[in-house]
Amino acid sequence: MDNVIGQDLISDLPQSIIETILTKLPIRHAVRTCSLSSKWRYKWANLTQLVFDDKCATLCNDKGAVEDSLAKFITRFLFLHDGPIHKFSLSSAYLQSSPDIDQWLLFLSRNDIKQLILELGEGEWFRAPSCLFSCRRLTRLELIRCELDPPPTFKGFLCLKYLNLQQVLIAPDVVESLISSCPLLESLTLSYFDSLALTICAPNLKYLCLEGEFKDICLKNTPLLLAISVAMYMTDDIAEHFEQSSSCNFDKFLGSVPCLERLIGHIYLTKYLSIGNDLGKLPVAYNHLKVIELYQVSFEDMKEILVVLRLIVNSPCLQELQISGSSNTSTATEAPDLDFWEKECPSDCTFSLLETVKMTDMSGVPHEMEFIEFLLRNSPMLETMSITPSVYVTDGRLNMLIELVRFRRASAQAEIIFIQD
Amino acid sequence: MSEGTMAIVKPEMKSYIWVQTADGSIQQVEEEVAMFCPMICREVLQTGMGSSKNYAISLPQRVNPAVLGLILDYCRFHQLPGRSNKERKTFDEKFVRLDTKKLCELTSAADSLQLRPLVDLTSRALARMIEGKTPEEIRETFNLPDDLTEEEKLEPLRNITDDPRIRLLNRLYARKRKELKERERLKNVEVEEECVDERSVDELLSFINGGNGDSKRATKNKKKNRRRKDQPRDSSSNNENGSHDKNDMVDIVATPNITSKLQDSTSVAFSPKLEFDDSVFEDELDPAMKEELDREVEDFARRLNSVWPERMQEILSLGQDRRLVPISANGNGSLKRYTGMLLILHYGGFLVIFFILGKKI
Repeated sequence: MDNVIGQDLISDLPQSIIETILTKLPIRHAVRTCSLSSKWRYKWANLTQLVFDDKCATLCNDKGAVEDSLAKFITRFLFLHDGPIHKFSLSSAYLQSSPDIDQWLLFLSRNDIKQLILELGEGEWFRAPSCLFSCRRLTRLELIRCELDPPPTFKGFLCLKYLNLQQVLIAPDVVESLISSCPLLESLTLSYFDSLALTICAPNLKYLCLEGEFKDICLKNTPLLLAISVAMYMTDDIAEHFEQSSSCNFDKFLGSVPCLERLIGHIYLTKYLSIGNDLGKLPVAYNHLKVIELYQVSFEDMKEILVVLRLIVNSPCLQELQISGSSNTSTATEAPDLDFWEKECPSDCTFSLLETVKMTDMSGVPHEMEFIEFLLRNSPMLETMSITPSVYVTDGRLNMLIELVRFRRASAQAEIIFIQD
Repeated sequence: MSEGTMAIVKPEMKSYIWVQTADGSIQQVEEEVAMFCPMICREVLQTGMGSSKNYAISLPQRVNPAVLGLILDYCRFHQLPGRSNKERKTFDEKFVRLDTKKLCELTSAADSLQLRPLVDLTSRALARMIEGKTPEEIRETFNLPDDLTEEEKLEPLRNITDDPRIRLLNRLYARKRKELKERERLKNVEVEEECVDERSVDELLSFINGGNGDSKRATKNKKKNRRRKDQPRDSSSNNENGSHDKNDMVDIVATPNITSKLQDSTSVAFSPKLEFDDSVFEDELDPAMKEELDREVEDFARRLNSVWPERMQEILSLGQDRRLVPISANGNGSLKRYTGMLLILHYGGFLVIFFILGKKI
């Protein structure tokens, strides 16, 4: 466009806009704007959101040199920086524990840092310096691969809303007290924990994501929880623990989450919930639960089926259900307790809002088919039911189809989609 | 999109909000569209303005009528519920296909109306115009004045990246200036000498021989040539940390520069006649030469900053002897080709130093 020649189009925009633009650039490019003109010389130095990664370093094959160059870049950047820093994010495969990082954190802790994200390389884990625990304004803390040991004087992060700890070395009781000392905590992610028996007290928690080897998960005070995603890994230690368990896991984990809207259980969650389920006493009601996804449900285990039923039967607002069978199901076609579906299964229940059902990794074992029939028979609003057979099932597919065609459906709209890969 | 707009406007009983832009023009906007802007929404709720033409809401200075039109288009699309994320994304992508000036104005106006999603959208578009571009390209895009000296341009980069390349570049630049000064000094001396010389020769020529001064001029040129050859040695010995490759560099810098300059100004390159015009040539060269050096250093800096890693790899992967080929092929004019070669030679000389430095570190 031939507008007035020589008119500077961008430099006099408000600093907040310039900062927005610079924030959307990789930080190295943002710094480079210093050589544009005199007005741009120090605009980058007022950035409040700093995101560093390996691209900040001069790349070469020498790992040590990259580490060095990255550390120097960040140190100099912070030294030349001017004004508050609200966000500091560092993600590097090269940097490991080093005095530099401790110094940056000290510097940041004095700058009222609000969001701190550290993802460091493997190798020697970074041990969080005590100054990290004095960042009282933190609203977001993400630590990946580090060691946490709060000093005795630590009183909690009073503003923290988002906590993400992955591969973090921390004593079990310390995790719990850390969580409960963040009164505003809304989102919690814990990954790769070893044999942890975890009790969560977080009155404002809305989102919970757990992944790792958990012996026990107890949600004690989480009245506002909206979404849960859990992946549990099994070890001999944990399996043994499960066998000896004498309490109801379902009640401990899902006994008091009245606001839950979304539940995603990856491997072993259903298994975990099935332990002691027959002892379950609590009347549960999930009046807001709309989406349930459960993976690797073993339809050969009546206890797991009962967990699924207990969940869906008590979720009157359920709209979407996705269940994957455990693909290593043996070919056993005769199943005990088949009369369960006629006799014990609640016949009066209706899934009045259920629209979508996805069944994947189906092997066509009797209990699976009975479960599908149960859903079809009781879901008047069903729109689609998609069924994907397990890759290991080849011969049985036709039989599955023949059976499916026979099932009665409560919904005249229901479309059954059989997905062949 | 405009049909959609019509459909929204047509139904009766619509409520409207009156707004006034800084140029005084007043217009009415569908309430739900106007209320999508937090600034207007706040005005309506807090002050009750906007209900009629006489109580129009004054929009901030930064919102001119043309930009307001754009903003309302954006609001009209996004305030409607039920659009898929993909639809919204496609709309946004098309929406920011504007010329730079418009885009800047739009960003500013959206900011003043506190329309955060639009500020983000336009800022991202502006950021894309900056990312991966050379400073020259960015300056051209936004009409930025080029008001920093070469040193100022490098200073923050040097501070922040501590890049050995930039340290080197600074040294190279400093040396060039030194060399330039040296040259000027020598030239001044020469000019003084020559003034005396010239006059006496002229006098001699016109007075005694009547125009047969060729042989004398040739000797004088020889003397000058000798002096020029001495120069690099002088400058490097002045430099206490001078290394052998610096000499190379200075030689490389000096020679092709002159030839390119020759091509530029006289277009009779490599003609033997030039040797005799040497004095004239040198006299006019220096200011231009200075400029040339500046430009060249900047060019070098730019290349280092933008394409260095790729270039480095390219050079490393290419054989020593093939080094010249790919880059000189880039230049289309003869002058360009010379600059190109020059740079490669720099790179060549530089590589050596780079490795030495690398080892030291």
